Amino acid sequence: MTERTHPGTVPDRPARRRAGRGRRWALAGLALGTLALPPLLPERHLATFVLLLLAATVTVGVSLLMGYAGQVSLGQASFYAIGAYTAGLLAVHGVPPLVGLALAPLIAAAAAVLLGAPLLRLRGHHLAFATLAVQLILLSLLAQADWAGGAIGLQGIPRLSLFGVELREDLGYAYAAWFVLAVAVLIARNVIESRAGRGLRAAAASETAAAASGVAVGRYRLAVFALSAAFAGLAGGVYAFYLGYLAPGSFPVLLSIEYVVMAVVGGLGTIAGPLVGATVIILLVQVLNTLGTQPGMPDYAPSVLSYAVYALVLVICVLFLPRGLVPALRSRVGRVVRP
Amino acid sequence: MSDLIGYLLTGLGIGAGFALVGSGLVAIYRVTRVVNFAQGAFAVLAAMLTSSLLGAGLPHGVAEVGGVVLGALAGLIVGVIAIGRPGTSPGTSLIVTLGLGVLAYAVEVLIWGDQPRSFPGVSGVAEVGGARLPAHYLLILAVTAPVFLVMAWFFARTDLGRALSACASNRYAAQVVGIDVRRMGLLAFAIGGALGGLAGVLTTPVQQVTFDSDVTLIVNGFAAAVLGGLTRPMVALAGGLLLGVAQTLAAGYGGGAYQMEVALVLMLTVMIIQAARTGPVPETA
Amino acid sequence: MTGVIEVRDLVVRYSGATALDGIDLTVHENEMVALIGANGAGKSTLVKVLSGLLRPESGTITVAGRLSQVPEGREMFPDLSVDDNLRLGGWRNGRKGRDTTAIYDLLPDLAPIRARKAGALSGGQQQMVAIGRALMARPDVLVVDELSLGLAPLVVAALVDHLRFLHTERGLAVLLIEQNARLALDLCRRAYVLEAGRIALHGPARELSRDPRVTAAYLGGHVAVPR
Ligand SMILES: Nc1ncnc2c1ncn2[C@@H]1O[C@H](COP(=O)(O)OP(=O)(O)O)[C@@H](O)[C@H]1O
Ligand SMILES: [Mg+2]
Repeated sequence: MTERTHPGTVPDRPARRRAGRGRRWALAGLALGTLALPPLLPERHLATFVLLLLAATVTVGVSLLMGYAGQVSLGQASFYAIGAYTAGLLAVHGVPPLVGLALAPLIAAAAAVLLGAPLLRLRGHHLAFATLAVQLILLSLLAQADWAGGAIGLQGIPRLSLFGVELREDLGYAYAAWFVLAVAVLIARNVIESRAGRGLRAAAASETAAAASGVAVGRYRLAVFALSAAFAGLAGGVYAFYLGYLAPGSFPVLLSIEYVVMAVVGGLGTIAGPLVGATVIILLVQVLNTLGTQPGMPDYAPSVLSYAVYALVLVICVLFLPRGLVPALRSRVGRVVRP
Repeated sequence: MSDLIGYLLTGLGIGAGFALVGSGLVAIYRVTRVVNFAQGAFAVLAAMLTSSLLGAGLPHGVAEVGGVVLGALAGLIVGVIAIGRPGTSPGTSLIVTLGLGVLAYAVEVLIWGDQPRSFPGVSGVAEVGGARLPAHYLLILAVTAPVFLVMAWFFARTDLGRALSACASNRYAAQVVGIDVRRMGLLAFAIGGALGGLAGVLTTPVQQVTFDSDVTLIVNGFAAAVLGGLTRPMVALAGGLLLGVAQTLAAGYGGGAYQMEVALVLMLTVMIIQAARTGPVPETA
Repeated sequence: MTGVIEVRDLVVRYSGATALDGIDLTVHENEMVALIGANGAGKSTLVKVLSGLLRPESGTITVAGRLSQVPEGREMFPDLSVDDNLRLGGWRNGRKGRDTTAIYDLLPDLAPIRARKAGALSGGQQQMVAIGRALMARPDVLVVDELSLGLAPLVVAALVDHLRFLHTERGLAVLLIEQNARLALDLCRRAYVLEAGRIALHGPARELSRDPRVTAAYLGGHVAVPR
């Protein structure tokens, strides 16, 4: 795998505390800033904002999985789909949307536990292909499942309503997505700083050594897999209500690859990494999309540009910034601050 | 009975495509320890170019060779980027090939658009043992069989092939005797590209390609190759044929649904059994 | 007089850790030289640098003619036949250099097993293949890393005979690296002692085998019986 965060380089304690406090302020500032942002955004950018937050939520899980459990998942969109279909199907059958939204991450995590028990015995490229296969199977099953709308898709999903208030505008979904991402970030932070997080970091560095020192590698790894699936499922639940329509085609393999790109680009195993990665990629794709849909551009331009962006950013990042943008920036800033 | 023969032959034809993609994966993996995610893209690129060349009036044979050459060239380029920089780990290379597979989408859509493409192969219907099937399936088999024979001869009986096998067998020893393992890795990528290209060129007349057909190809190719631990081309051949037959039988007798699932579940089962037998394999990627 | 191998002030580091620290070493034409030292002293590192597989940090290495190595642990191509292993040894010599008949004349024990997979051979047979493979490169100097490691005394004796023959009859220069100091000091006229990346001692083998520092550290504390 690509390089991981190395536990060995621990700065002295006051410096770490200072850095921790700084980071906490940065996070709080970011939270407030993004809370104030949605009303200021024009309608078409609001949609990008919602999708960005949902993608970031999934990527937080992917980054945790790759950075801490040291495993590539090329099927993370499956759990996004499972969450979306859970919420969508329940809502279509009259279950209150909030219940559906709460069940979405649970069902996704349960699926991850069931799949993970056999699959997580695999490593490296075997696991990558296994997760890819799982997604292909899921898509094919969904396309053949008439009760889930089949290939045509599931239509008529009601809008999300919170305490009797129906979210009809994009603005409401922007805050729903914000809340979902905040939950994912807080949980991920706690996991990273917990005993389990340290155990996983050790396991990612050397599985044998971690196992020898009594870390229950397998169980932690399964837990992270389930957690990352829960994040994806939760984001998927919001997505179902936001779009009101789901089809297998909304969850292509490419979507799973996009999450990997965002995680790798931002930097694995950090909290800021997936946020930065998702933001950079989504904004870049959005800008190019705007360019590509200018009059005079051929109609294939947007897709060509977005494929090219995903590909080039991933390749360049992996080869030249193997630890991702966030650690690279952080060490550059660190060098400037402490000459 | 004639149904069965028909399904078998069609399955073998489709399976030959998987086997070629899979053996391309094997050719690259043996030498470089890199699982090449862009393997399916070689097939798509080759098929698309062939359709253009045929459209431009080139005769059959020439156009197909052009496609295979493009596959080999694409393989070489992927190799240069994925393993060209000294010190690139196989895991990093894998992510790079994943990215290059997506880059191929951009190139393909740019040049050929996002609509499915096909081109005519051998026309007509053949009758074998009472079963009627498109004659092109027989061509696929007639080309694939000698290709595998030539490959076996090349890897075992030529000096260049021996050097490739040497890199696969013991990389350090290969360096000791003076083999440039990185150059051999690039050669392996080119061979893998040609094999992938051949798969695309051969199967497109019976199964049209879209730019994102590569996912199905790579997954089935990997499923074929994983049976032999990704290192044995002949097992990849057997695996590919088996998958092809299993899928057509499932489609034929199961009413068209669930044929993809057959291959995927088979692959997952094989990998899980392999992992259970050897214990958790140390990370190679 | 200059040698086939001339090493001057060689420094090699592995990502910071110094493995060789200012090595000077010469192997003259038609000379058999021993390099002894404990595990981890840096012997194999020197072999890798000499054969160009590892880049030194500083210092110079001059090799007059061609150097070929018998690597530590024999490093077979386990799933290739003995004959293919040998042929690959001639990789650098182009098409003509891959004829193995001369090797079977030189090492007749290999002839009956030429079609067997190298991975299925005994340690002694593998060491013979490794020597044959190194000879396929038509070297002017042969570097043998741990000839005797893990082999039974009788097998070692046979290998030593071959090596001595190549040296005396074919005029091959040899740098013999050994943990078995007695064997190396008996076989060679000159020797170097490597300790923690530095040449601790060097001189005529006969003198070294009587040196108390050598006898204490490498010859099990007993004074070697003079030849
Ligand atoms: N690839 C490597 N990376 C880092 N250190 C190494 C490597 N190879 C050898 N070393 C270290 O260099 C020193 C010399 O090793 P080596 O040359 O193999 O010794 P010897 O052959 O005398 O037993 C040892 O301390 C060993 O741990
Ligand atoms: Mg050694």
